[in-house]
Amino acid sequence: MFEFAFKSFQEAIYMNGHGVYVWSVVIILIFCLVCAFSYYKIKLKEYKKKLDETY
Amino acid sequence: MIKKFIHQFASPKTYLFQVNRVYKYIFYFSLLIYTFSLIWGLLFTPEDFVQGNSFRIIYLHVPASFLSQSLYAIMAIASVTYLIWRVKLAAYLIIAIAPIGAMTTFLALISGSIWGIPTWGTWWQWDARITSTLILFIMYLGLISLHNSFSNFEKADKLLSWLVIVGFINIPIIKKSVDWWSTLHQSASITLTDKPSIDPSMLYPLIGSMIGFFGLIFCLVIISSKLQIFKREKTKSWIKDYV
Amino acid sequence: MNTLYLEYLKLKKKTRNWLGPILVFILIMIAYPLTVEFLQKDLEQGFFSLLWISMLLSMMLATEDIFLEDFNDGSLEQILISTSSFPILIAKKIFIYWAMIGIPISLFSFLFSLSITKDLQVSLLIMPLSMLCTYIFLNLFVFGSALSLNKGSVLGAIITMPIALPVLIVLGKSVIAIQFGINYLEFLLLLLGGLSIIITAVPFIVSYVIKAHLE
Repeated sequence: MFEFAFKSFQEAIYMNGHGVYVWSVVIILIFCLVCAFSYYKIKLKEYKKKLDETY
Repeated sequence: MIKKFIHQFASPKTYLFQVNRVYKYIFYFSLLIYTFSLIWGLLFTPEDFVQGNSFRIIYLHVPASFLSQSLYAIMAIASVTYLIWRVKLAAYLIIAIAPIGAMTTFLALISGSIWGIPTWGTWWQWDARITSTLILFIMYLGLISLHNSFSNFEKADKLLSWLVIVGFINIPIIKKSVDWWSTLHQSASITLTDKPSIDPSMLYPLIGSMIGFFGLIFCLVIISSKLQIFKREKTKSWIKDYV
Repeated sequence: MNTLYLEYLKLKKKTRNWLGPILVFILIMIAYPLTVEFLQKDLEQGFFSLLWISMLLSMMLATEDIFLEDFNDGSLEQILISTSSFPILIAKKIFIYWAMIGIPISLFSFLFSLSITKDLQVSLLIMPLSMLCTYIFLNLFVFGSALSLNKGSVLGAIITMPIALPVLIVLGKSVIAIQFGINYLEFLLLLLGGLSIIITAVPFIVSYVIKAHLE
């Protein structure tokens, strides 16, 4: 079950011509997740600062 | 006891303190599972006989599209609880979930259309599943814009929850669209009742990535609901202790 | 006085609200052959999709400010307080709108589809479909305009548009079924079932939404 499906690392990136699609989806998804997390973290910090100033 | 628990947990204060305690564990646990099962799925599963290597997108596409529908279902449950029992926290959850649901629906659409290029030969097809998912995406955007058009939060919450409940009719249509209409999109590989029509070596990483993605999105919902609580309850005295 | 008759008089006074959508529908239908060259075959291809979409748009126009006037002169609040059956009043209002706008539009749709397809049977079968779909669209857009009550904008209609899209899918399927001469009744009954749910649910939901606005 845990056998490496490709012969080499280059082949894993190329994936018989399908690598472009697979890796682009991976990049988009991770980019979106990172963006969402950082957006909410930054907003949360802003609000905490605002609350700190009011008290 | 359950009623008491719900009432206690439903107050924003206890929610905030309780959630803060478990947040870190959930985040790191689901991040671990997600990365592990993604690497397993992308590099260590055997190649699909029909689709070749492009089937590996399943580990990204299925969790996103699954969550895009279930987030809407959670919103519908929250809006029913808000309208019946006037639980304030449910109202915060609705508007906290809406942008995240829009994001996951967008991810499902994008990953699906990229997957379509090598397997169907087209990146977009106006068939039932894809069109109804697009409708779901527009619904999420509409919900956000409706909430933003009111300055009075309480009124916006009430109207929003009605819209969520009415719009819920789209979810069964999306869910069943693959069975009702003949389309390019394949029917579900995993169901609760039947045996999965997918090999175990491909199934386990899929389940892992679903759990991991669910956990990550759950963490996002926690953060954004925290933001909503800060926004709405900034005049309360207990916020001071928290900060 | 009978409330149904009162609603009729109210709508009759607002010529813009009932004549406007019908005129828009007719104008789109007349403008369609002008944009396609006068070739019979090309005309038929996109006609039905245009028919449904222009119906959707004219219903959107009709309900744009259905509650706005009542809201502005304060009679909406009075009705809400005085009558115990606010949902029934809303149902009557929607029915009058349908009778004044939806039925003429479905009659015109028969006329236009006859003039373009030259097929009497198809055009006759289009009529009940258009009657049902105009009623469904009206109900949905009334809900939308109740959501954005005092904004007086098309925001509510735009928000409820996604809910109306499954109806469009069913309509498209049923037109194909008519043209090939197969189980057309199935789609008609599907629409009828949807309508019966919507008719009972929408007045109650709209009344709750308006109450939330006026609180």
